[in-house]
Parts: sequence; C-alpha cells; structure tokens
Amino acid sequence: MTTFARLMLGGVLIAAGWLKIGAPALSVQAVKAYELLPGGVATAVGYGLPILEIVLGALLVLGLLTRVSAVVAGLLMLAFVAGIASAWARGLRIDCGCFGGDGTLAAGQDPGYLTEMLRDGGLVLCAAWAARFPPGRLALDSVLGLADRPGHHDLHDHDEGNDS
Amino acid sequence: MSKGAREASARDRIAAQRAAERKRDRRKRLVTISVVGVVAVAAIGFGSWYAATQDTAEQPALALPPATVNGDGTVTLAKAGVTAPVLDVYEDFQCPACKALEDSSGSTIKNLAAEGKAKVVYHPLTIFRQEPTRSNSLRAGAAARCIADGKHWMAFHDKLFANQPSETVEGFALNDLVAWGEESGVTDSAFPTCVTSQKHAQAQADQSVEVLRKQNIGGTPELKLDGVALPNETAFVPAKLREAVTAAGK
Repeated sequence: MTTFARLMLGGVLIAAGWLKIGAPALSVQAVKAYELLPGGVATAVGYGLPILEIVLGALLVLGLLTRVSAVVAGLLMLAFVAGIASAWARGLRIDCGCFGGDGTLAAGQDPGYLTEMLRDGGLVLCAAWAARFPPGRLALDSVLGLADRPGHHDLHDHDEGNDS
Repeated sequence: MSKGAREASARDRIAAQRAAERKRDRRKRLVTISVVGVVAVAAIGFGSWYAATQDTAEQPALALPPATVNGDGTVTLAKAGVTAPVLDVYEDFQCPACKALEDSSGSTIKNLAAEGKAKVVYHPLTIFRQEPTRSNSLRAGAAARCIADGKHWMAFHDKLFANQPSETVEGFALNDLVAWGEESGVTDSAFPTCVTSQKHAQAQADQSVEVLRKQNIGGTPELKLDGVALPNETAFVPAKLREAVTAAGK
C-alpha cells in the first residue's frame, strides 16, 4: 500500500514536471496566471517547480528519503489545492497548468477546478500515507537500511529515539 | 573469575559490540541521507538555474528590417528580398502566454528577420470568447489595423504587449490606444477616429474566426515555420527557436 502511494505520487510528479520543464517561459506564465505571487517570486517558482517535481518524484519512485519527500510533496500538493481554490474563489478563468501549458484555457474550454482539486487532494492522501507508514521492502530506503526494518517497527522509538 | 562474573563480562562485551555497531550504522545512515539530500538539493538548484538560462531573451538588434502592413491586417517583417523560411506568428494582444512569448522569444523573432534569416509575418488574432478579454482583444486588434506604416505598427505592437491588462479587468481603453499609437509615431489625422469608432473591429473578429479555422489553430500564441507549428519547447526557448529557423533556412 505504501509502495502504491509513493509510486502514484512520484509518477504523477515526474509526469507533471517533465511536461513543464521544456518551456520555462510557459511555466513562469502558468504560475503568474494565478495572480498570487509577486513577479520575481512567480518567476523563481516557474523556473524551480518543474525540476523540484521531477526530483521529488524520482525520490518517491525510488523510495529514497521516502518520508521526507512525501512530506514535502504533500505540502506542495496542499499548496496547489490552495492555489486552485483561490483562483476559483477570485473568479479567475484559468487552467491549473498542472501538466504543462501556460495557465490559459483553450478557446471554449471551461475551468475544471473541482476535478483538479479532487485529484490533488487524492495525492495529498497518498503523500500522507507514504509519510505515515514505513516505505516497504521495495524502497531503496529499506535496501540501504535507511528505514526501520519491517517487523521492528515497535522497537523503533526505543531503539533510535532521537533519529526520527 | 566466577562463572557469574565471566558471563557478566561476556554480556558487557556483547553489549559494547552492539552499541558500536549501532553507532556505525547510524553514522552510515547519516552519511547516506546527507549525500542523497545534498544531491537532490543540488539537482533542484542546477535545474532552476538552467531553466533561467533557457529563458534568457536575446538583445534586440539595433535596427528593425522593413515592416509592411498588408491589406488583411497582417504585418510582414523581412529584409528586402528575403522570402524564406517563413515564420508565422499568431498572437492575441490580450493573451498572457503571447506576452510571455514576446518577452522570451520576441527579440529573437525580430533579430532573425533583421539578419535576413527569416520572413516573419505577424497575425494579430482575437481568440477570446468571454468578457472582458474578448472586447479588450478586439479593441486592440482593431486599433492596430488603423496603422498603415509598418515601423509604427511594430512599435504599437510592442506597446500593446507591454501594457497588456489582466484577464479579469477591462483594459486597452480607446483613449489609451490612441495615445500609444501617437507615441509609436503615428501622425495620420484619421487615426484617432479610426480607433475610437472601432472601424475595423468587425474585420478583426471575422478574420480571426477564419484564420483560426483555416490554419487549425487551437490557441495562441502559435509559431509556424514554413507552415508547420512549432512545439512550445522550441517557440518559448529563444536559442532553440533560432536553431530551428536557421536550420530551415539552409
């Protein structure tokens, strides 16, 4: 189950980042379309977000630093949900720009805010799951001994108290 | 040594060994975690920096090549005698992504024309169906059609993008459009009336519908190189756009 959660979240993040990374100017535009961040910050986010998504996604798919990555990815998804909700509340007519694009709707297209929020909300749950439970045998964390071994979970707090 | 003492010391030894092992494990863990963490952060930093370099606009050339306003409201920017390759620029003065294209690749497009590497044709369109964006776009597009001189048109074009209103407010007010035209060098006494009466609004609307359909354009901006649409990864990255156009000219 944790494996499913991290693969799902990681896969979506990689796809989302990959579709954005080729055209930085568009990525910046998609951030600006929300009209939430001041110009300079929006530009920095536009440049940094695609690679952040890809790196987080790769860590989650590999199962490296799973819990930390899941927490960061979860916060990112919450930020997306908040951003979309805010765009909706302010009556903007934009595309979320989640998987590339510039944030503008195609001619005759209506915003899909609810779908977008539900999808990102589902991914928040995936993130919460991957952060709450140990990453499972298939994760590199387990192979490299970075995670608590399965079955030893109850010893965890006692054993390595200050590490976690 | 009594049996009990021996056992106790053996227990101690084992315990000490275990403690050392745990310490070693912990250090190894810490090193691995730090390395992965540092690599991840470095990758994000490098990727962001690289994205910024990809999005660096070219310095505009000192002089624009001759621009010609065509009868259908399109504008050709090309050095004398240059007829190929043709770079068609489909854009809407109100569309934010078109402004993003102008900011990143606008100077490259003009430079390519100035260097004689392409014949550039601007097609101002109105793609919006909702208000206030539709009227904003129509006002601007119709005003541009009131300009007969190519050089003034190019300056006006740049001014429109520089002053693009948000998609949520009414913008491109008629008196602003007149003022921007005059700042762009238009001296024609019929210009203000042409703008304020929105003489060419219908032509702008009709032509947009026709071009969008005929050229099969789903959204703006769109760049077509010799009739073939360029992907965003080329159009919005100045160096790649230059590469594609230069290659088409060979």
